[in-house]
Amino acid sequence: MNVRNPIRPLLFAAALAVPSLSFAVATPGESAPAFSEVDAAGEMHSLTDYQGEWLVLEWFNKDCPYVRKHYGSGNMQALQKKYTDKGVNWLTVISSAEGKQGYLGPVEAKAEAKSHNLNASSAFVLDPDGNMGRDYGAKTTPHMFVINPEGEVVYAGAIDDNDSANPAVIPDSHNYLAAALDSAMAGEPVAEPATRAYGCSVKY
Amino acid sequence: MIRRWLQPVLLFALLLSAANFTAGATTEASGEHVKVHLITPGQFAEGQSTTVGFYFEVDPHWHVYWQNAGDSGAAPRFDIKAKGAHIGEIKWPFPARLPIEHLTNLGYEGNVAYLFDITPKAGAKAVTLDINLEWLICKINCIPGFGQISGQWPVAATTQWAEADQTLLDTFSARVPQAEASSPWQPSSLTTTNSANLTITGKGAAPEVFPLNGDWLSAERPRVTETNSGYTLHFATQPGVSAPETASFVIAQDNRAWQLDNVAIDSAPASTSKASHAALWLLLLAAFAGGVILNLMPCVFPVLSIKVFSLMQPGVSRAERIHEGLLYSAGVLTTFTLLGALLLALRAGGSAIGWGFQLQSAPVVLALAVLFWLMALSFSGVFEFGHRLMNLAGGSRGGAFATGVLAVFIAAPCTGPFMGAALGAAAVLPTVQALAIFIGLGAGLAAPFLLLSASPGLLKRLPAPGPWMDTLRQFFAFPLYATVIWLLWVLGKLVGDIGWVLGTSLLLALAFALWLARGAGRTRLLLAIAIALGAIAATGTTIMRAGAPAPQTGSELWQSYDKTAIADARAQGRPVFIDYTAAWCITCQVNKKLVLETDHTTDLFKRKNVLAIRADWTRFDPEITAALEALGRNSLPVYAWYPAGAQQAQLLPQLLQKRMITELFDSE
Repeated sequence: MNVRNPIRPLLFAAALAVPSLSFAVATPGESAPAFSEVDAAGEMHSLTDYQGEWLVLEWFNKDCPYVRKHYGSGNMQALQKKYTDKGVNWLTVISSAEGKQGYLGPVEAKAEAKSHNLNASSAFVLDPDGNMGRDYGAKTTPHMFVINPEGEVVYAGAIDDNDSANPAVIPDSHNYLAAALDSAMAGEPVAEPATRAYGCSVKY
Repeated sequence: MIRRWLQPVLLFALLLSAANFTAGATTEASGEHVKVHLITPGQFAEGQSTTVGFYFEVDPHWHVYWQNAGDSGAAPRFDIKAKGAHIGEIKWPFPARLPIEHLTNLGYEGNVAYLFDITPKAGAKAVTLDINLEWLICKINCIPGFGQISGQWPVAATTQWAEADQTLLDTFSARVPQAEASSPWQPSSLTTTNSANLTITGKGAAPEVFPLNGDWLSAERPRVTETNSGYTLHFATQPGVSAPETASFVIAQDNRAWQLDNVAIDSAPASTSKASHAALWLLLLAAFAGGVILNLMPCVFPVLSIKVFSLMQPGVSRAERIHEGLLYSAGVLTTFTLLGALLLALRAGGSAIGWGFQLQSAPVVLALAVLFWLMALSFSGVFEFGHRLMNLAGGSRGGAFATGVLAVFIAAPCTGPFMGAALGAAAVLPTVQALAIFIGLGAGLAAPFLLLSASPGLLKRLPAPGPWMDTLRQFFAFPLYATVIWLLWVLGKLVGDIGWVLGTSLLLALAFALWLARGAGRTRLLLAIAIALGAIAATGTTIMRAGAPAPQTGSELWQSYDKTAIADARAQGRPVFIDYTAAWCITCQVNKKLVLETDHTTDLFKRKNVLAIRADWTRFDPEITAALEALGRNSLPVYAWYPAGAQQAQLLPQLLQKRMITELFDSE
């Protein structure tokens, strides 16, 4: 009765043959993709560093008109201040590749943060190889993600519901990000967990 | 001519407007890389709706956007304030898919006019427009633009157009989607699985389809699968966005477009809907039943009977029997899952490949012929198959698993009607369901054997082992010899006469080697092994190098597959009969002999001027594979009948009868 069981390797092969169906991008209701990136100040940020805390990710490109809309009007900095004051971590990520629009080296990034009055909880996170951006499925600048203390994505999408480049529309726009953060932090379900991000394409 | 005639009129109109109205008309706006004109007639007609447009002249390689901009970008905004007129909605010419690095945008590369209707109100003497514009123009980087356009236009009895303007607007009017009712493509269903699947019916090449709802559907080009009556477009959905109740699409083809408004989303096959669950269960049940029937196929039955014999051997305990049964089932299921996964992987990769494809490969056919030859010799008592040569299909546990694997391979070409339908469905279903159908087939094939091995009661009903078993075993050798003949014939079809000669020579060499090895001596055994291996290697390499035989003309009535000839005949209103066949398909050969190649059918087809096509799929042929998939099938036989002037094929049953051919012409 000393017979080798031939099933296990075959089942293993079968499992390999079945194409993978999972998507890697950040999807509301699912675990956030892991990341490890260095910021302009040389500090390392990983998803695991923020376990047990709220985290906002924002994609940034200084030359994108839609980023200018929200920074020129002070809207983004005000949101950063409001929520970091409440203990939320806020990382502003630059995924532009070197040589493309919006790329910043560490020195320029520090200067740019100052001139933009960046209120994020750290210096710009630099992702020039685009790994973090692609893993999250960041398509546009700005593109916003909210991750809860359990490491789950609770919001992914646009900052608000008005894709005009005109800053004058901001006061009348519905801010999806603020609504999502307010609901989620109050323990309520997020009414619109996923929206179409608008803006310039991320320059991978 | 008209211009010359118009000039004084326009001049007069201009003077009139300058005199009567204090309009500071600005019908132009501009920004970086773009100029915008509002194109209108010189005057509007009372009570009559006139289409005007914002004409965007963009620099080469820059683009502006459609109403659903896609992955990034933004549609232009038109804030129109009108006095003395009603203003219609913006009419968006259908867009193009613009790949922008890793994203897809929907918009216009080159100039475009966004149109809208102006209808002067009753009694209004002039139309006043005050428009705020915002647009985004992109190459890779984007530049937003803003502009104001305002002006006054008199209202008179008729409209006055500059001819060039009218022509320009007409060009873009033609590209504005028309109502669904006039569309040659009609929606038949919209389902959601891991993609959103829009099925449309119509004829011709697949059109471009653009979703209006960018919040839910990705702008990237959908994967397209062909159905019996049109296409299914599989749109990727945005992660985390739940499906709305309806969705609208724009269909574009040959520079014209139609809008499908609010296509209702059917309850998804993968959702909790009971009806769709029932449909899937029905398919699974059919697959299971088909699998059970496969047990009775003449090419599977003898193999199974070997296993049953081994189970009935005295001293085999119940636990061992169950173990055997489970191993056999595992073999069947693993093979079905692997084949299903392979089929799906190839399908995903765009390759179209049908069931039974193992038998399109000459080396596989040769290997099967050798295997059956050895089994037949063993059954005849020439040598002890289970002990000597290999444990395949013999007594060991590994053997039970291998029997399961073998059963699937042998069963594949013997597709009963159940398998045909289930596999056709599997070819178009989403991955998970398609795989479930394969597993269902496997479960059906494995079930009777598992039942037999698990239930001693049933086993006891089988007659007690005795000398009759040897007789029966010897008897079963003959169907195996018959199978060998059939496989050699297939080999001949695949590689020509050389297949016959090489195949039979190899079998002879193997028989000789077996005879040689029967003697005691070690030298004889080694010599036998050398002969066997040498013969296999020599034949195998020759077969692999052998090319396809010259196509056989067969008969004067039947022509080989030719897409153009079929299309021409159908266009001329000539009826077409297509026999999708292959040498390895036994049912096909039976139908051919009993029905298709009879004087009855030949006379009838000739009298009715039928174009009779024999689509030979013995070897893989991409055109025939595509044609089969268009019919929703991927196994044989398939008989497609296009009555004179008909748009769609009628499919005949897999088992033909003469009266079915007669009935084709009954309606005339």
